[in-house]
Amino acid sequence: MSPADNLIPLSPAVFHILLSLGEGDRHGYALKREIAKRTNGKLKLGPGVLYGSINKMLDLGLIEESDERPDPHLDDERRRYYRITSLGRQVARAEAARMRELAEMAAATFGRARHA
Amino acid sequence: MLKFYRILLHLYPTAFREEYAKAMEHEFRDELAEAQSGFPVVWLWMRLLLDFTTSLPVQLAIEIGRDSRHALRLWAKRPWQTGFAVIALGVAIGANTGVFSVVNALLLRSLPFRDPAGLAALIHFLPPHDSAAQFDSWRRHSNYLQDAALFEDGDLNIGEPQHMLRAHITMTSRNFFSLLGSVPVIGRTFASEDHAVAVISYGLWQELYAGSDKVLGKTIRVYGLQPRPDEPLRIIGVMPANFDYPASTVLWKSPEYTRGNNGWAAIGRLEPGIGWTKARAAFAADVHHLEPHRRFRADWIPMMMPLADELAGHVKNASLLLMGVAVLILLIACANLANLMLARTADRQHELSVRSALGASRARLIQQILTECLLLAIVSAGLGLIVAVWATSLASKVQPAPLPSQTYTILDVRVLAFMVGVAVLSAVLFGLLPALSVGRIHLFVARGSTELRSSRIVRDVLVAAQVTLTIVLLTASVSVIQAVSHELHIDRGFRADGVVTGSVALDGTVRDKPGLRLHYFEEVLDRLRRLPEVRNASSTEFLPLLSGKFMGGPYAFDGHPSAQGMAADVIPIMADYFATTGGHVLYGREFTDAEVRSNAKVLLVNETFARLWLRPADAVGHMVTGPDGTVRKIVGVVRNLDFMGQYISDVFDVDPPETFIPAQNPGGFDSTFVVKVEGRPEDQVAAIQAALQSVDSGVPVYGVETMQQRMDRAFARPKFYRTALAFFASFALLLALIGIYAVVSYAVTQRTHEMGVRLALGTTPTRLRTRLVRHGLATVVVGALGGIACAASTGKLLGGLIEGAKGFDVATYVLATIFICLVAAASIWVATRRIANMDVVEILRAE
Repeated sequence: MSPADNLIPLSPAVFHILLSLGEGDRHGYALKREIAKRTNGKLKLGPGVLYGSINKMLDLGLIEESDERPDPHLDDERRRYYRITSLGRQVARAEAARMRELAEMAAATFGRARHA
Repeated sequence: MLKFYRILLHLYPTAFREEYAKAMEHEFRDELAEAQSGFPVVWLWMRLLLDFTTSLPVQLAIEIGRDSRHALRLWAKRPWQTGFAVIALGVAIGANTGVFSVVNALLLRSLPFRDPAGLAALIHFLPPHDSAAQFDSWRRHSNYLQDAALFEDGDLNIGEPQHMLRAHITMTSRNFFSLLGSVPVIGRTFASEDHAVAVISYGLWQELYAGSDKVLGKTIRVYGLQPRPDEPLRIIGVMPANFDYPASTVLWKSPEYTRGNNGWAAIGRLEPGIGWTKARAAFAADVHHLEPHRRFRADWIPMMMPLADELAGHVKNASLLLMGVAVLILLIACANLANLMLARTADRQHELSVRSALGASRARLIQQILTECLLLAIVSAGLGLIVAVWATSLASKVQPAPLPSQTYTILDVRVLAFMVGVAVLSAVLFGLLPALSVGRIHLFVARGSTELRSSRIVRDVLVAAQVTLTIVLLTASVSVIQAVSHELHIDRGFRADGVVTGSVALDGTVRDKPGLRLHYFEEVLDRLRRLPEVRNASSTEFLPLLSGKFMGGPYAFDGHPSAQGMAADVIPIMADYFATTGGHVLYGREFTDAEVRSNAKVLLVNETFARLWLRPADAVGHMVTGPDGTVRKIVGVVRNLDFMGQYISDVFDVDPPETFIPAQNPGGFDSTFVVKVEGRPEDQVAAIQAALQSVDSGVPVYGVETMQQRMDRAFARPKFYRTALAFFASFALLLALIGIYAVVSYAVTQRTHEMGVRLALGTTPTRLRTRLVRHGLATVVVGALGGIACAASTGKLLGGLIEGAKGFDVATYVLATIFICLVAAASIWVATRRIANMDVVEILRAE
């Protein structure tokens, strides 16, 4: 079993943070807004849960702090940016595979949704 | 709004806060600006609060878990030190909780009566009570009592002549239950027209009637209650299971008012809104007004007190004393642990400074230390729980609660809250100084300094504080232990060793006829005296120390009536009573069997009685007219018998006048046979029980045990206090000594280099050690002087709490100080033994 397999399943918050960071470095507030957009406002992370998750992900080595400022005209010096690590990518992939398997299993049992 | 959000952010644990609070605040500003005002702001706050309540516990758990794991790793490195800390604090928390459970049950939990705060006990006072009308008129006209009730209780025989039970019976005025606000589970309580009716307890209902509803209307006989000793009573009600007031009563009987019956006790309910001060003043005026109705003993001062206080009795003061002692123990343990944690923190200076260099803030390090202290307190509280359960069960055995609802337990919200409070408070107490010192280490390490002079002073102050508290505890304990020991070893006019006792009650039995009673007693005595190991046997109607009732009244000596309000106790006994119980006949002689049988008009008096009239040596031959008018001749003078030990009765009466008459009609009171045996009395109990029962199986025989067993039970409470105080004092002393030892041995470790230099410069190890002893003793003496000052100023309180305890006793103070100095010196000497083996070259090379 790879180290990535030990860390799944992920909570929705952690998975979405990894997805967002997969597209580029972000600070906390940007992550939050993006996740809300991505989920049509269904997943709105509060600051406690967001930074709690970031803290945990930093501890696990899924993400790290980044010194780069990808969007200089929007940047605020006081904000901290995060970047996905290679372990983070592995874990996100493993989680996606897991979900795919799950989805296929559901499809085999219940049939595919019409508007899928 | 931002301010409030900042407060919320402050509740997050330090590491998380330091890392993310700024970003979170930043976001909050952005979102607030977006939301602008009105409903979106309310919505924002709702989401934030929900987020806060879900994320805070998670973050707390993560950080506490991390700090706890760190603390556990540190503890595992020093198991002895940790074990000591847990035991010291565990015993302290347990003792506090155990004692508090008693205080809570007796003084804080309210009585199971309606509006119990307004209930009063009227002590040494009897309102007019010659008839129901007289009593009712008094209570209706009272301007300070809304209502008042009378009761008279005692152990009596109930049941049928073939199957007799000994039970606690209470005769009450008709309003007794309504005054207390207690209602029966079935039936009703007394009404004004009721005569010869009874209300029974839940227990008796189950035992005799198997809980049947048909019990109402049945009759039950109670024997020996005056003026109609065997009147059948009709049962009209059953009280609930938790009601047995007073004194585990199983049957309450409707009243019989007889002129001059002084056996009543009175309780009342204060007028609403009157307050205790005003009510007491009105009561005093009432007592003054009713002077002729005062109880017969002139030295009994009438008092009115809350019923809860009266029920708690002596236990109240003793519990408060033990509570104070337990708090002292907790403070000593906390001072000790603070010292230990300080030393440990100083030892971890290196680790802490590295963590600080890696970016851990002062607050983060303080949180780490406080978590460690809290964890220590929680683990100790676990041990404390066991100690508390044990202490509570011990207290229930030694001093059972007066009411079923007052059972001592730690399973009570107040007790558990107290325990948690004590644990947290102690963690703060012993964690505060180390936590503050972390801050200093943080600063000073940055400047390159190592050991701090100020923290050495702090440790010395903590040692001095421990000695102060220990001296207070030690002197108070010695004082109370002396008082209790004095009480236990006082000459009570009889000896318990080698004596077996056994009680009988003839009321209602086939022997309950004037001639037959004496005959039964003679028969029993004859059988007892014929047993091979028995040296002597006799009986009394009232056993010293253990009888709750008395008989007596005014009398005349050679025709001169006793002074107004002066009365003598009358104790019917059989022949050879004093010879059997190791009493002292000072002048004259005891009764003979023939005198008892022939109802000879003879009498024994005690010293106090004789001294009221003449020299005791001259009393024999004089004539005494008893309360019943019989004129008897004094044939002997005996040493005073102590009927009421100070710690047993709530009423302490010093040596009242006593008279002893031949028991013409024995078996009606607390009639008890006393048997002097050869060898171990415990071995004879079975034979004596068999002899007592062999005469008539229909007579209830109870309490067949050695006199020593009765005495042990009677003195269990003071003995328990003595043991508890001795234990606490020793424990405090041990803690203080370990504290001193730890501080000195730590100082030796810290100053190894300095010692090495001194030794290299020519000082001898002995001189160095003496210097350390001198320094250590200076701290101890300062602490001891503080202790004496505290003990002297609180001594009055102690004297007030425990009868006979000396509030101020120079000899105890001096001895306690010398003692603690000696043991402290020995402890320091042992702690510095490393110096004697120091290798100067090694030390200097290492440095």
